[in-house]
Amino acid sequence: MEIAVQIALNAVIAGALYSLAALGFNLVYNTARFFDLGYGAVAATGAYAVFYFYKTLQFDLLSSIALGILIAGALGFLIEKVVYRQLRARKASQTVLLIASLGVLTVVQAIIAIIFSSQFQTLSRNIGASRIYNVYGGVMTETQVIILCSGLSIMTALGIILRYTLFGKAIKAVADDEEVAQIVGINSERLIGIVFFIGSAIGGIAGIAVGFDTGIQPTMGMTLLLSGVVAAIIGGMGNVYGGVIGAFLLAAIENAGVWYLSGEWKAAIAFAILILFLLFRPQGLFQK
Amino acid sequence: MEYLVHIAVLICIYGILGLSLNLAVGQAGLLSVTHAAFYGIGAYVVALLLIAVGLNFFIAVPIAMILAGVVALAVGVVFSRLREVYYVFGTLGFNIIAYSVFLNWDSVTRGPLGIPGIPRPEIFGFRFGENEFFLILATIFLAITYAVCQFVTSSSFGRVLRAIREDEEVTSVFGYATHYHKLAVFVISGMLAAFAGTLFATYITFIDPSSFNLNESIFILAIIILGGLASHRGAILGAFLLIILPEALRFVGFPSDVAAQMRQVTYGLILILLMLYRPQGIWGEFRM
Repeated sequence: MEIAVQIALNAVIAGALYSLAALGFNLVYNTARFFDLGYGAVAATGAYAVFYFYKTLQFDLLSSIALGILIAGALGFLIEKVVYRQLRARKASQTVLLIASLGVLTVVQAIIAIIFSSQFQTLSRNIGASRIYNVYGGVMTETQVIILCSGLSIMTALGIILRYTLFGKAIKAVADDEEVAQIVGINSERLIGIVFFIGSAIGGIAGIAVGFDTGIQPTMGMTLLLSGVVAAIIGGMGNVYGGVIGAFLLAAIENAGVWYLSGEWKAAIAFAILILFLLFRPQGLFQK
Repeated sequence: MEYLVHIAVLICIYGILGLSLNLAVGQAGLLSVTHAAFYGIGAYVVALLLIAVGLNFFIAVPIAMILAGVVALAVGVVFSRLREVYYVFGTLGFNIIAYSVFLNWDSVTRGPLGIPGIPRPEIFGFRFGENEFFLILATIFLAITYAVCQFVTSSSFGRVLRAIREDEEVTSVFGYATHYHKLAVFVISGMLAAFAGTLFATYITFIDPSSFNLNESIFILAIIILGGLASHRGAILGAFLLIILPEALRFVGFPSDVAAQMRQVTYGLILILLMLYRPQGIWGEFRM
């Protein structure tokens, strides 16, 4: 019984992390219309920026996190300006953008490894000192509670922004038809830039959360990105809420699967689910 | 001299990988990111056959290729139903699954410890022990692969593949079973990747899962994108350049772990720059 509770708790926490990853990814996909793999690198950059400010420069926790999120957002914005915008101007196909973003991911990941080494490192200053909560026989650390709460609030905030503000409506318009959106006076290039900033910032938050929960590694971006992509595809590409549900579903299946097999098979389970979905329900659970 | 021979062998191995991947990506337009999985299957099967069963290398090679072909057939049936970006993610998922099998199937692959002490190939009492002799064998393998690829592309089968690449629907309207063509080329490409894997395993005489992860697939993809899609000599040129370049970086004086990361930076940058300025690569006959 206690194991079941613990697995459920793990699934909820993993679900929150994946939803953050899927959220930013979906937001970017929605407006820019391509699978931005560089997103993973941006997420890792956020986590490493926090590492630098918090552990190397000994800044306090909140300003380190704020700086980390800002840097992630800024990097996403910059990459969009320097690479993706040029490609879109050349009418590059989705595949070309995908390959370019693969290049971005590889480069940023390697640069992080050169600066910070490819070792696994922890973000928290005092490991083990974090308070532990007992939930129906399962255990949750304080960090995980904070991750869960901030994850849920970001999702809600983003949902409200997308639905009720002019900005959200503009995003919807560009996602629907970029040319028409331009005709009615939406500066789509600027909008896409802002979306890249916000999406990357959310990715950065996901990366930072993973960093505090387990630890950081240059390849973490790739791992996080893939979870986000799988969640987004399960939920229906471009559907922001679907992505969140997909994330929790993925986390639940993964953790249940790990119960039967073992932790090492997690990635294999995730991709087996992805392939099943691509085959039988390529449009995802909630079609856009 | 020894060093040059080593580089030449590597170029042969990656040349085979490039040529074979180019059949799927360049000829048929199937953007597969799972080549390292078949490469790994070839390497592992040969290693196990040589060590555990004690077979001769030249008997083990066809067995390894056939096994890889069977796996390629099984997953190819699944993948041939996917399109464009979803094809990329499906194949990428398979690479991750294959990697976790190499990593976690301890009783067979010895997991992260890898398999040491793989014997060099032997025929009629002659052992390809010296690297110079091994280079001759590698060159012969490369020549065989080149001939096979040349044969496939110049046959009517190859013409249908190129037609599928340009427009799959029209090709199927003309009565070609496009699914079978895509499946067949995927199997051939996977078998040839296993061919390269058998060389790699017996050359290095040690294999572990890290040689067959997703990054390796991306590296092979970078080779053919650089050299040029659908071009045989392009694939070999790409292998040559991408093997030589990081070695050159090493001479500049980077420490070896930084040099490994510089390799990633270089080919990531190459991907981005090519997508921006020359999406068809150096000798490419097809642009995505």
